[in-house]
Amino acid sequence: MGENDKDLAEVHTPHPRVHYYPGCSLMSSARELGESLFQMSRLVGSWLEELKDWNCCGASPAHSVNQNYAILLAGRNLVLAERQGIRDLYVICPSCFVRLRTAEKTLIAEPEKNDLLEEAIGKRYQGSVRLRFFLEVGSSSRLNIFQQAVVNPLKGLKGVLYFGCLLTRPEWITGFDVLPYEDELRSFVESLGVETLDWGYGKQCCGAHLAVTKPDHVDSMVDRIRNHARRVGANCMISFCPLCQVNMELRGKNSEPLPVFYVSELIGMACRLPRSEKWVRKHLVDPRELLATHRLL
Amino acid sequence: MVKTMQFDRSFIKEVEERSGQRFGACFHCMACSGGCPVSDIMDYLPNQIVRMMQLGLRKEVLESRAIWVCLGCYSCVSQCPNRVHIPYMMDTLRELALEEGVKIGEPDIWAFHREFLNQVNKRGRVYELEFMARYKLATLSLFRDMGPGMKMLFTGRLELLPHTVRKLQDIRKIREVCYGRK
Repeated sequence: MGENDKDLAEVHTPHPRVHYYPGCSLMSSARELGESLFQMSRLVGSWLEELKDWNCCGASPAHSVNQNYAILLAGRNLVLAERQGIRDLYVICPSCFVRLRTAEKTLIAEPEKNDLLEEAIGKRYQGSVRLRFFLEVGSSSRLNIFQQAVVNPLKGLKGVLYFGCLLTRPEWITGFDVLPYEDELRSFVESLGVETLDWGYGKQCCGAHLAVTKPDHVDSMVDRIRNHARRVGANCMISFCPLCQVNMELRGKNSEPLPVFYVSELIGMACRLPRSEKWVRKHLVDPRELLATHRLL
Repeated sequence: MVKTMQFDRSFIKEVEERSGQRFGACFHCMACSGGCPVSDIMDYLPNQIVRMMQLGLRKEVLESRAIWVCLGCYSCVSQCPNRVHIPYMMDTLRELALEEGVKIGEPDIWAFHREFLNQVNKRGRVYELEFMARYKLATLSLFRDMGPGMKMLFTGRLELLPHTVRKLQDIRKIREVCYGRK
C-alpha cells in the first residue's frame, strides 16, 4: 500500500521479521489494537519484533514547546533502528509515525540538528531506515492474504472510516497519496464484509490532548462527529489511531455512543483470529450487543 | 504629505526564521480559521495571529490563548492556498513564549505538556497513570473528569506498571542538549 512498490522478495520470504515501533499507548490505552496486531501478523506468517529500548517519540508536547527536543527524541529511535540493522521500521500509531517521519526528514535536511543528536547520544542518523505505517505490512499483495482468510464476513456492520488528522496528513511528511490511499483502505474494509458509508467528517480532529485540558470542548467536538456518523446510518466507526479511538468512545455527552473499532480488530473478527472475543471486551462502548445482533461474535 | 505607518518587523522576522515560514504569502483568506476545529475557543483566529505578527504585536501574540489551544491537526495548512504552515508557526510561538517568560495564556495546557515531558525525561516513556495524577495535582483539578478515568482503569486500558528505557542517560542527555544552553 502507500508507495506501490511491490517488494516481491519480501512477499515470498516465508517468515519475514517485522520490526515495529510500538509507541506508549499500544500496551496501555490501545491494548486491543496491540493484541489484534499480533494476531494479524501471525496470520501473514510474520515474526513481530519490537525495536529494542525504544523511547517515546515526544508526541504533541515535545514539538509544542521545544522543536529540537521533538527531533532528538524521535531521532534516537531512528539511530537505534539503524544500529539494530533494521531496514523497515513499522510504526503503529499515526501520531508517532508523523513525529518519526518529521525527525527523519529534518535530520537529513538540516545537518546541524544531526550534530545535536550526535552530541546527545554519540551517533548521527545516516538515513538508512525506511519508516512505514503498520497497514503497509499488507503491501497490496499481502492484503490478499487477509481477504482470503475471511471466514466470518462482517455483514451488518455499517461503518464510517474515521481517518483522523494524521493518518494521511501532512502528505509531504507521510508520503501517502491521500485519495488513492483512502480509497484503498475503504475497499479493504469492505472486503471484510463491512459496509462503508460516505460522510464528511473522516478527517475532523477528535480533540486529541485537549480531551484532558478542555474536556467540555472536546465533548462537543466528538458529539458533532458522532451525530454525523449516526445521521448517515452508521452503527460503528472505524479508526486507525489509538487517540482517536479513545476520544471517540470516551467523550461526547449529547450523542448516542457508537463503538469504534480499529481496522486490525475487524480483520481479527472477520478471520476469527484467536482471542478476538477478548478485545471486544476492552471497549469503552461495548460493541457486543451490536455484534450479537448480527451474529458476528 | 502622505505618512506611512511603521511597524516593528523584528518579531515576525524572528518567527519566520525559526519556523521556516513566509507570512508575506498569507492572503488572509481565512481558510485556516474556517477549518480550525478549535477556533471557537481561541481568543484570536489563526490568521489573526499572522496579522498581529505583521503589526508587530509581540506581547499580545505570545500571551494569547490561541497559540496554546492549537492542536496541530494540520487542517489549516492542508487548506491553505499558499501552504503557510500555521502549526509550525504555533510551535515557534509557544517556544518563544516560554523562552521569554511571558504570562502563559493557557496554564493548564502548558501543565499538560510539561508533565508529559517530565514523564518522558523520567522514564523515556510515558506512564499514563502517574502522568494523569501529576497533571491533576499541578492544575488542582483532582476530581474533575474522574468518571472517564475510572472507566479507562476498569476496562484494563491503563497500564498499571511503568516501563523504563534501559539507556536512560541518552534521554537525560537529549534533554540537556535541547534545554541546557539557551
